[in-house]
Amino acid sequence: MATATQFFAKPWVRWAIIGLVVVLMIVLPLILPAFANQTLARIGVFAVAVLGLNVVMGYTGQVSLGQIFFVGVGAYVTAYGVNNDWNIALVFILAVLIPGVIGLLIALAAARLGGLAIAMVTIALPLIGVPLAKRLSEFTGGSQGSSARFSAAPEWTGLYDDQWQLYIVIAIAGIVFLLTRNLVHGKYGRAFAIVKGNEAVASSMGISPYRYKVLAFTIASLIGGVSGFLYMVVVQYTSPETMSFGHSITLLASMVIGGAGSILGSLLGGAYYVLAPQLTNAVDSSLTAVLQGVILLVILFVLPGGLVSLPRLWRRRKNEHRGMPAGGAGSAQAATATIAPTAPAYVVPDTSAPEPIPPTQSQEKRQDT
Amino acid sequence: MTLLELTEVTAFYGPVQVLEGVSLSVPDEGAVGILGANGAGKTTTLRAISGTVRAGGKIVFDGKDIRGMRPDKVAALGIAHVPEGRGTLAGLTVRENLKVGAYLRKDRKGIDADIEYCLDLFPNLKERIKSHGSALSGGEQQMLAVARAVMAKPRLMLLDEASLGLAPSTAKNVYQAIGRLRKESGIAMLVVEQNANLAFTLVDTATVLETGRNVLTGTSAELKGMDEIRRAYLGG
Amino acid sequence: MGTFIQLVIDGLSAGSIYAALALAIVLVNQATGLINFAQGGMAVLAAYFAYSFIQWGVPLILAILLSILVSFVLGALIERFLMRRFEQGDPDTAVVVTIGLLTLITGLCGWIWSFNNLQFPSLFPVQNVNILGAVVSIRSIGTTLVIVGIMILLQLLFIGTKLGLALRAVAVNPQSAAFSGLPVGRLLMVGWGLAAGLGAIAGALIAPSQTLTPGMMDAALVYALAAVILGGMSSPIGVVLAAWMIGVLENLAAVYVPFIGYDLKIAVPFILIFIVLIVRPQGLFGRKEVVRV
Repeated sequence: MATATQFFAKPWVRWAIIGLVVVLMIVLPLILPAFANQTLARIGVFAVAVLGLNVVMGYTGQVSLGQIFFVGVGAYVTAYGVNNDWNIALVFILAVLIPGVIGLLIALAAARLGGLAIAMVTIALPLIGVPLAKRLSEFTGGSQGSSARFSAAPEWTGLYDDQWQLYIVIAIAGIVFLLTRNLVHGKYGRAFAIVKGNEAVASSMGISPYRYKVLAFTIASLIGGVSGFLYMVVVQYTSPETMSFGHSITLLASMVIGGAGSILGSLLGGAYYVLAPQLTNAVDSSLTAVLQGVILLVILFVLPGGLVSLPRLWRRRKNEHRGMPAGGAGSAQAATATIAPTAPAYVVPDTSAPEPIPPTQSQEKRQDT
Repeated sequence: MTLLELTEVTAFYGPVQVLEGVSLSVPDEGAVGILGANGAGKTTTLRAISGTVRAGGKIVFDGKDIRGMRPDKVAALGIAHVPEGRGTLAGLTVRENLKVGAYLRKDRKGIDADIEYCLDLFPNLKERIKSHGSALSGGEQQMLAVARAVMAKPRLMLLDEASLGLAPSTAKNVYQAIGRLRKESGIAMLVVEQNANLAFTLVDTATVLETGRNVLTGTSAELKGMDEIRRAYLGG
Repeated sequence: MGTFIQLVIDGLSAGSIYAALALAIVLVNQATGLINFAQGGMAVLAAYFAYSFIQWGVPLILAILLSILVSFVLGALIERFLMRRFEQGDPDTAVVVTIGLLTLITGLCGWIWSFNNLQFPSLFPVQNVNILGAVVSIRSIGTTLVIVGIMILLQLLFIGTKLGLALRAVAVNPQSAAFSGLPVGRLLMVGWGLAAGLGAIAGALIAPSQTLTPGMMDAALVYALAAVILGGMSSPIGVVLAAWMIGVLENLAAVYVPFIGYDLKIAVPFILIFIVLIVRPQGLFGRKEVVRV
């Protein structure tokens, strides 16, 4: 395996792979059947949604159950704008910004509370979103939903609709993925990781957990808006059902199963979101929810890093066979980015300086006095 | 009769080895000190005994091999660990703390009598009997920790850095009370202390640890007389 | 005026149910340091068990008591075999596990009992009484009283019994408790069992009016979490008061604030949280966090 890693590390190999991927992305839509293109497009839509969730949850460690809400808002804004003949660029911008603003407002409040407050607050979003969408029927079409056809392939391209839509998804999703990749590999990404690992440590380093949580959440909602726009491009119809509680959980599960804190994992997560229901339905349609729950739990127990961590796990097993010790932390906990530090569970041994010990120690839980 | 015997005990925090081979023995009703600098492995040795850290080697208590036993099982055998940091049960009152110490006992009268004994041993606690554990000062929390251990009617008490963070006079008080406890109850003690002077007021013999193994063992008198000990731990 | 009193009492009744669920969440959090997003789902499962017992001819009260017992055992088993390994780690991971558990339980309920709305008999007669000129349902009064009674019992358990003392000790400092010989693992199981039992009571009380479906307590979970946020994780009284407040305010808002109406009642706790956070930016938690450093 060492030779393989060395091979992939060579710059020209990397460029070749990127080139190959680009070529595939251009060529595949032209040769695949319509159904495959549509499936790929939907995978792209939800890969973007999962990517957004990853920013706030996988990379920054804040559980959010509201991502699908932002996707829904983006879709509804798109539908409304298109049906009112607004400029498509304006529609796109609004579809991204409006969820972003909502996300910002929510984060400004929710991130003030520590611990799992963001999770506890965002769980309400789908449950509020659905009746709200039904209520605001002039904007949303109520329970019937809203359809918008605007993604038919223009004449000059000579493409079929499904190909055109897939290209749009590839282009926009590709840009979003690239931007996000740069974000998480840069200094913001490092800050997110520190906030995720240990907020006390982050503040002591001058990194405000609050600000970065707000930032991460807002970015997640912006990306959610993009996903919503793409959703309308591909599905051309949205309804309150789009942002249901069940979908919210499936999206979260998709992120974990694909691989939290991983760009590639987001793609896998999108694939899971689209393909898994079809597969589980094929097994037994009434068992769908059960199977999805089981899969999520199995992944959390056995492969916490998600599907994307399979090669890593395999490599580690090989190294163990060769006599090299596995890393002390073993398989990381779920929703842990590969760069996140694992906090030791033990009190530091004798090597700690004997400062006066306050009543609360690291082994005790904090108490409200 | 040997109550506790450690033979070439090793201990690990994850992949890091902290004890390389520690051996000592505590006679019935005896008191043994574990001295050494920071990081030598003193606290870890106690943790190995009470089962809170993964350990290798042999640990025999009252004829039973207790290495690897869960902490609550070790406690049930009659070993009370007074941890570094005192382990105060913060939201509970002093009385409740003491009652938790007596958790494994069923004799109501005996428990009540022992609570009175502890309050007599540590008069400060008597005043604070209704206060919550978190409201006590460092010294009082240390007393409470020892009292909690006493409530279990143990045969062996593991004392981890009882003087840590306490003003010298408070630490002296605590050790005096523990000395009285030892005389009146016959509980054996294994005392980890950085303050060797204090330790010598309590223990008959001691062993000195350095980077995870014993480097010196002897009676208090012998050790006090040694130049190295005097220089390193007794201030010249 | 009559409507107002009616709404308040109905609100207290609903709030009592949220309070029960919220207390279960607090109990689990105090003991094992994580938030169980499946607490409502487990309560629904218990209600389904009761439903089956009733179908098999068991009298209602006995069926509910049995379901509480089954729930207790299930809660204990879930702690031991599912959650135990996640308790020492990152609370966010543990939450995701509970979300997986929620999905599984919801799916199981739907698979075993179908996703249709099932009728669950009411513990209390479906009648009304006249109080101060208001028409108040006996069910609302009964629900509130039952839950208040349970909460008093729980307080007595925690303050007055050895088991309660042990549970509190383990929640505060598990290692210290172990040093005193407390069987920490078993006590954690008891804690989860109690929480599950509490949820079962809430489930049985809410089922008659909601009709039994797998997603029956999804909304209640949101209310319960809001009560926990507003009341503070370490203050059971605060949580109960917050839950009552949420129950009453959402009922009042549904009627007196036309935009909210009945279907958007669930926005009320959300709005409350925002208002509280504007007034008290550090939140009602203050500086305390659930996360172990």
